[in-house]
Amino acid sequence: MRDLEQRSSIELAIDRYVRQDQLTRRAFIHRTGRGMLAVGALMTIPGILAACQSGGSESGIRWLNWPAYMDLSEDEASFPSIEAFIEASGIDVEYNEGLLDNADFLAQYSPDLRAGNNTAWDVMSPGGWVVERMVRNDWLEELDHSMLPNWTANCADYAKGLWFDPDNTHSVWYQGGITGIAYDPELTGREITKFDDLLDPEFSGRVGGFSDMRDMFGLTLLSLGVEPENATIEDVEAAQQKLLGAPEGQFRGFYGNEYYDALAAGDLAISVAWGGDVTQMNLYDNPNILFVVPETGGMRWNDNLIIPKGGANLEAAHQLIDYYYSVDAAAMLSSYVGYFSPVTGVDTRILEDAAAAREDGDTETADLLDTLAPTVVLTDEQSANTFTDKVMTEEEEAAWNDLFETVIGA
Amino acid sequence: MRSLGRRITPALLLLPGGAWLIAFFAIPMAFMLVISLQTGTFDTGYQLTWNFAIYPEVIAEYWDLYVRSFIFAILTTFITLAVGYPVAYFIAFRGGRFKNILLLLVILPFFVSFVIRTLNWRMILSDNGIVFGPLKDIGLLPPDFHFLATPASVVFGLTYNFLPFMILPLYVALEKIDRRLIEAATDLYASRATAFWRITFVLSLPGVFAGSLLVFIPAMGDFITAEVIGAGNPQVFMVGNIIQRKFLDSLDYPSASALAFVLVAAVMILIAIYARVVGSERLTS
Amino acid sequence: MAATAQAQRKVPLGRRLSDLALPIFTAVLMIFLFAPIAVMIIFSFNDPAGRQNITWQGFTLRNYIDLWGRSQITTPMIVSLAIAALSTIVATAFGTMIALALTRYQFRGRGMTNLFIFIPMTAPEIILGASLLTLWVSFGVERGFFTILASHIMFCISFVVVTVRARLAGFNRSLEEAGMDLYANGWTTFWKVTFPIIFPGVLSAALLAFALSIDDYVITLFSAGSTVTFPLWVFGVSRLGIPPEVNVLGTLIFLLAVVFIVVQLGMQRRERRAAEARA
Repeated sequence: MRDLEQRSSIELAIDRYVRQDQLTRRAFIHRTGRGMLAVGALMTIPGILAACQSGGSESGIRWLNWPAYMDLSEDEASFPSIEAFIEASGIDVEYNEGLLDNADFLAQYSPDLRAGNNTAWDVMSPGGWVVERMVRNDWLEELDHSMLPNWTANCADYAKGLWFDPDNTHSVWYQGGITGIAYDPELTGREITKFDDLLDPEFSGRVGGFSDMRDMFGLTLLSLGVEPENATIEDVEAAQQKLLGAPEGQFRGFYGNEYYDALAAGDLAISVAWGGDVTQMNLYDNPNILFVVPETGGMRWNDNLIIPKGGANLEAAHQLIDYYYSVDAAAMLSSYVGYFSPVTGVDTRILEDAAAAREDGDTETADLLDTLAPTVVLTDEQSANTFTDKVMTEEEEAAWNDLFETVIGA
Repeated sequence: MRSLGRRITPALLLLPGGAWLIAFFAIPMAFMLVISLQTGTFDTGYQLTWNFAIYPEVIAEYWDLYVRSFIFAILTTFITLAVGYPVAYFIAFRGGRFKNILLLLVILPFFVSFVIRTLNWRMILSDNGIVFGPLKDIGLLPPDFHFLATPASVVFGLTYNFLPFMILPLYVALEKIDRRLIEAATDLYASRATAFWRITFVLSLPGVFAGSLLVFIPAMGDFITAEVIGAGNPQVFMVGNIIQRKFLDSLDYPSASALAFVLVAAVMILIAIYARVVGSERLTS
Repeated sequence: MAATAQAQRKVPLGRRLSDLALPIFTAVLMIFLFAPIAVMIIFSFNDPAGRQNITWQGFTLRNYIDLWGRSQITTPMIVSLAIAALSTIVATAFGTMIALALTRYQFRGRGMTNLFIFIPMTAPEIILGASLLTLWVSFGVERGFFTILASHIMFCISFVVVTVRARLAGFNRSLEEAGMDLYANGWTTFWKVTFPIIFPGVLSAALLAFALSIDDYVITLFSAGSTVTFPLWVFGVSRLGIPPEVNVLGTLIFLLAVVFIVVQLGMQRRERRAAEARA
């Protein structure tokens, strides 16, 4: 009996499978299978070729930089200052905007650097604390200042002698900025001047903090009257307590780059922010937002040009670095990127360009450049009221990080 | 009776995938395990000190993050199940010749980068955006209401991103159910509901099992949703976030690694319990 | 005639409504699934003055036209598609084999393997990624296309295994045995009997694997070297919000898939008519 049942069920099943259902399904299988294999095969060659394209040329150099940190042509297809360099020097430059995050960068490249391998980059532009670590671990080539005449001639004082590299032996300033507070006066209802305004219960749920430990603690320490450079662990504990003591739900979040969207869209009324971003925001996305350096002080930061160890083309790398200290290149760069330039004379040059544009009848560009010019250099006033990170030992850094973790939710 | 078993030994079947996983998963992970037992710093290097004490330390300090992640993940699993089941059912039983197309449609949004999906959701769900703006205007919501940067929004984000991981396995299990069994059941039990629960649902349990694992496991270790949709709000800080933090920012590799392995162990225990409860032998062989 | 009249019972309104409930629910869910995609498509035609692409500022086709010749944008897409296609094929093959082994055979270590197959899914990506990077550096392997491919295959296998197993549960071996009688060859039996039956599981697993691969960021970040994949590129340019070109690419991918679907539909219809003509 069971045998019969089994057989009949098998026959029924086989019968079902030879009907149309099975036919179309099998055809689908074959087609999909063949399709996938075809796609796979077709794509492999161009895929590998595309991936291999990134191999550098013998005489050229490769530069790893942040996105949106280079002047862009009108059609957004090329970088004028780089093109100019290639033409003038004859050195081919492969420019890559793959540096997305300081911490990610360190994690990605420390294995190679530790092993003494070539990182495949000739020039990189990470931030201060990363360079600090790289210097400590001897992962950077020493800069030969005899090959950097423009730097010697044009570098502004505020851009020399970086706190983690006082003699610029391994790094020079690329672009810099200030971390302060940005706010929408319509949403806050009043003027903002103090760090403590971030903790005003009136703004509960609409305040943005930073997920960057140095920026966030830095501003808090300043509000307690402590300069970050000299802060002790007790000071940082006090800063931590101050942040934890904020009213429940005060901070909507501790942001990375995403604060920009939230601020421009009005989800945040007030937030820790980078000055250059707000300039951008005003020009394009939200003209209401105002940027202010807190009364107690803001944080000054910068990204740096460095040459990792193992690079093949030291001379060319130096030439590229020096090129960006020429007023021409610096002006090109600064007209597009809204941060502080380390080059003296950049603001005058941009004003000259503005005047030239106005003569040509291009008032839009002229206005833009006029507004931009004063913002690309660090004024003495700003310099006086902004402070830099502390050069920490590993133990200190670990302790500060531990304290910060509780603030952001651990 | 000849069996296929003698022709293709299990070893041969396991070999390619197994070897791949050993080379590119087991070995790197073993290396990380060793790191968790080391002491040292980023600059000075790490020495193997068999520091087993790190495990109770990280558990004691961060157990609440595991609990929170568990809650988020389990909520996500339930919601995806509740929402995904009807869809999988529809595609399997009513899809007809459009079955494969509908399946493709379900997964299609997920070929378009995570960043695009999530950032666009963030735009849609922003405080005064296209959804909440009008609702606030007509007074249905208080003006200071916000959805983003709350635990609910993180569960929402997780649910959205893991929905196909639930729908696809459910479909797979539902599709192979013999319709005649259901017809027979409807004849037996007067109500369609009973027929569904007693026959269809039970037969689809392998899919429920697979789907819940495919959702719960990655959701538990997720970090990006809390960052982007959750805006880094302290209330949504998950295990994934602390591991990111420890590894990338604090450069505390032993702690990051230990936290990761505690996560792995915790999830494995949960899977084992789940499998036991649901009777996995029946479900997977 | 009379038989059909008798067979036509009146369908109660409640039943008809509940019959509709399911398709409506599915439709609503599809809308939900595609909501951000719709926004993406709309905003690919936006003409924003600044970086941000969140307010509608005017319709333009410029974003599409400008796309040609910008290899910075198209290259990552090609690389990602290639990697996704290849890793899907390999991971699906490997994973299906493992699923078959685990559900069919009793062997020593089966319980352990059963459990171990879940571990790759549980491990946080940052740890996986970083440990792989250390592996590459220790062995002096240059990071690029093949290291990304290797890592993608790795994390897809487990997902394939779990999905295919849902299909293999309760598999009726008697069909296979009948097949063996017919074909007398394990390999042919597999392709003619087993595979068609488990195919929906394999297809679903492949779709999942493809989605996982084409969207991976963290592990890829560590295995990529200087190769740029689509997610890496998108993350990079989306620092201040999604620029139009990202939406454009997303829309193009979407259109590609829609075309694929339409072609499938067309071919299916042709198959159906051919089969009907044959019958």
